[in-house]
Amino acid sequence: MEDSPRLEIKFSVPSDPRYLCVVRGAVGTLASVIGWEESDCRAIALAVDEALTNVIRHAYHNRTDGLIQLECRESADGLEISLLDTGDAPDRSKICAREIGCDQPGGLGTHIIRQVMDKFSYEESPQGNRFVASKRLRKTT
Amino acid sequence: MKISVREVGEAKVVEVDGEVDLGTSPALRRTLLATLLTAGKVALNLGAIRYIDSSGIATLIEVLNRSQHLKKEFVLFGLSPAVQEVFRLTHVMRIFQVFQTEQEALGIP
Repeated sequence: MEDSPRLEIKFSVPSDPRYLCVVRGAVGTLASVIGWEESDCRAIALAVDEALTNVIRHAYHNRTDGLIQLECRESADGLEISLLDTGDAPDRSKICAREIGCDQPGGLGTHIIRQVMDKFSYEESPQGNRFVASKRLRKTT
Repeated sequence: MKISVREVGEAKVVEVDGEVDLGTSPALRRTLLATLLTAGKVALNLGAIRYIDSSGIATLIEVLNRSQHLKKEFVLFGLSPAVQEVFRLTHVMRIFQVFQTEQEALGIP
């Protein structure tokens, strides 16, 4: 028997920070429908916001005319996020999470993504740079 | 996001209302750095912030570092639940002076 259809939302987001609030709202609502509690929904929306921010800053260097393809999929056990951009590829040597309690401002976004999501990775593909992240919903009984 | 600044004695209180992200944090940064130049102590009210991301936290860290360089005080008060959650995620609570109320932040008995 085939699996039931699951929700999948796709955004084409300009690399302009004024659209970040739109994505946050949609991702937070999707996480809520899947079953996360309110604080987790806010954390997941924050992690996606941080991934988009990284693309705007590092792939498009704050240009607002780039395009980011965002896909959010309900999976069998949680949520999968995919971002695709055609900006500069990330410099893997510079992708690092900050040290805990550090008083320097850099690396916070990656630290947040690592804290919130269960898995994340960066891939280069013929279509562009792809960021993929997932989080499992841990059901309490 | 709305920002306002008012004087309370020798100090200045900065009020922020709204969401702080990559698009809005530069305005907050400009206001805080400019206010720091005109007051011995700057207290930032974070009670009406509904959302803050890493660019907002990075702004606060930069202003704190600048205040220490200028030998001035930069303190935070009234953290909203949304701000507290992000502070917890980023482990930055210990690097700031954080107070519950404006009175406490300004050291008013």
